[in-house]
Amino acid sequence: MASQPNLITKKKRKLQIAPYLFVLPNLLIFTVFIVVPTLLGVIYSFHNYDGLNPMKFSGFDNYAYIFTDDKFWSTLGKTLTYAIIVVPLIYACSLGVAILLVQQVIMKGFFRAIFYWPTMISFIIVGLTWRWIFGELGIINAVMVAFDYEQITFLANPFFAKVAVIIAAVWSRLGFFMVLFVAGLLAIPKDFYEAAHLDGASKVKAFFHITLPLLKPTTLLVVMLSMIEAFKAYPLMFALTGGGPNKATTYIVQYIYETGFAKQELGLASAMSVVLFIIITIFTVLQFKLTKGGEN
Amino acid sequence: MKLNSKGLILLVFTLVLSLVVAGCGSTNNTEGNSSDSSKKNVKLDFVWFSDGDEGKVMENIIADYEKENTNVDIQLIEVAYNDLSTKLKTMVSGGKPPALARISTTEIGSFSNFAVDLGEQLDGVDTFTSQFIDSIKPYYVIDNKVVASPMDVTANGIIYNKTLFDQAGVAVPTSSDDIWTWDEFNASLKEVMEKSDAKYGLVWDFTPHRWSTLLYQFGGSMINSEGTEGTINNEAGIEAVNYFKKMHDDGIIPKSIWLGGENPNNLFRTGTVAAHLSGNWMVSNYKDITDFEWGVTYMPIAKNRSSVPGGKFVMAFQKSGVEEEAANFIAYLSSKEVNSKFNQESLFMSPRKDSADLDYAFGKEMFAIFADELNNTIPAAAEDWSKQTIVPKFSSDLKDGLVEVLAEGATAEEMLNDINDRINEAIANAK
Repeated sequence: MASQPNLITKKKRKLQIAPYLFVLPNLLIFTVFIVVPTLLGVIYSFHNYDGLNPMKFSGFDNYAYIFTDDKFWSTLGKTLTYAIIVVPLIYACSLGVAILLVQQVIMKGFFRAIFYWPTMISFIIVGLTWRWIFGELGIINAVMVAFDYEQITFLANPFFAKVAVIIAAVWSRLGFFMVLFVAGLLAIPKDFYEAAHLDGASKVKAFFHITLPLLKPTTLLVVMLSMIEAFKAYPLMFALTGGGPNKATTYIVQYIYETGFAKQELGLASAMSVVLFIIITIFTVLQFKLTKGGEN
Repeated sequence: MKLNSKGLILLVFTLVLSLVVAGCGSTNNTEGNSSDSSKKNVKLDFVWFSDGDEGKVMENIIADYEKENTNVDIQLIEVAYNDLSTKLKTMVSGGKPPALARISTTEIGSFSNFAVDLGEQLDGVDTFTSQFIDSIKPYYVIDNKVVASPMDVTANGIIYNKTLFDQAGVAVPTSSDDIWTWDEFNASLKEVMEKSDAKYGLVWDFTPHRWSTLLYQFGGSMINSEGTEGTINNEAGIEAVNYFKKMHDDGIIPKSIWLGGENPNNLFRTGTVAAHLSGNWMVSNYKDITDFEWGVTYMPIAKNRSSVPGGKFVMAFQKSGVEEEAANFIAYLSSKEVNSKFNQESLFMSPRKDSADLDYAFGKEMFAIFADELNNTIPAAAEDWSKQTIVPKFSSDLKDGLVEVLAEGATAEEMLNDINDRINEAIANAK
């Protein structure tokens, strides 16, 4: 009789271990390619290191330098401004498109695919594509010349360059977040809308009092992911504007990259990455706390 | 299989460790003895990047070498130029340096501590360096050590749209005796813009190296000849920056390149640009243009005539296990016959003193002008750009600073004073 509970325990154990085995391959890759380099980065941040010659321990010198480096903080400020503009735009556009595409629309799948396709293109290609649109030799200028208008050097103008980057970023990420919102919208029971309709609520009221509150977990996810992406943005700007004109679209990751690889100061660049990591973590935790983990 | 939590942690740890160990493992480049001779079979990894067709030329050269040296197997590892530095750093710092790498002037300083001294391996510093033109010597001889061998030499210069100049009836200098001053050059460009289909006068590569051509022509330099102090903020430097800005403000140089990141090559290829300040490597790039005629003319003179010498080199790395074989292959590459073949077929300029007059299949007269630019280059140009432990510390700031001046965010004086401080800081840190 005593062997029965023993069997159950064994089975239970096996079942408990199975999930760990499933995540094991990813855990290994994550550890080797993310965790280990991150820890090495933290070690580099306390050294003078050019990536080749022996490291020289420098204590907190790199961190002290960062706190007096005006360019680092102004670039971080520009990145924050970019994030403050681009995150709500991505949120609003992806939610708007998702709402349209959960309706009974002809060729709904085709339209969803159209919006999703850009997310499958690398940021470098997205940047180059929009360069062919906004550039000196781009489509917009070709059309303007064809109609006898003066050419506009969009990408040589700080304002237009920033606008171009924002348009390209929203275009390239809209589809991904749209899919999250479509899933969120389809999970909302239709009964709520029917009840609201019977009570005489308008569609706008239903949106603000049913849809938005019930999308809170998705909203948190979208805002958090797009905020982190905005802080890490680099390849798109690299291909579209090269960070110019006059550093107008150089954001923090590009600044760190240039410090590490163009100036060969990997120790300082690592310290900057640690500071950025801390800032992103603070933002994420704050968001999580403020939204109570996305609970309704 | 029973697995408790301790066992699972142990398993994960073992797997991580084995992955790390596998990643750090090294393979020996020596592959045993050949049956027909006492020479060992060796494999030489050769990290390579291509600007044009030179990769194919090098493959043929390697095939010829392998026929003569049957115990040597050379593997060309092609990387994009932008990835070269990172790739080499990873290999060197990971303890697995390649036997050989093609590098440019930008990388020499960083990797010089890890290079095989070719002077020691081959015929001594003086004998080895005497084969090559003197102006590039500061790039590859560091602390009396030959850290790399020159493969080709580059010179900055002017490529012009012959069709547009002909259309406007403007003649370009045809000999070094009648070259333009910068003001005359600007006047000519304006005339071409007025009287032809040209939309732009001059496109100028978006690099501090290409800008520095103007600095040297105006009599400036970045660092003093002793290498102890920055000199970029002197009167000549300020004048060069202001002149560069004036050309932008006058609409001769389109702002879309230095401010908008537009590719000058693409603009020149549209056939609406009168001239391009770039380098001899563009001859190979532009040879397929059929929409208009183009040529090379002499750069204008200010206080001096000057170009900026540069080039590509081959470096052999220490601790590759095949240093001797790598040095032997470099000796083969550097020989008159092989080096001439490489440069002639790749449409490059040879750094060898005895291979200046190559029989190019295309643009022979253009290379003669670039060679003349090189022969009229002031020593400061090579001295400055050869200090590759210092230059990377400020060159991207110089590029940003020039853009800032063009965007009217700073004056030339303010910007150059700031760059000079950075140069002095880099010199102090390098001591």
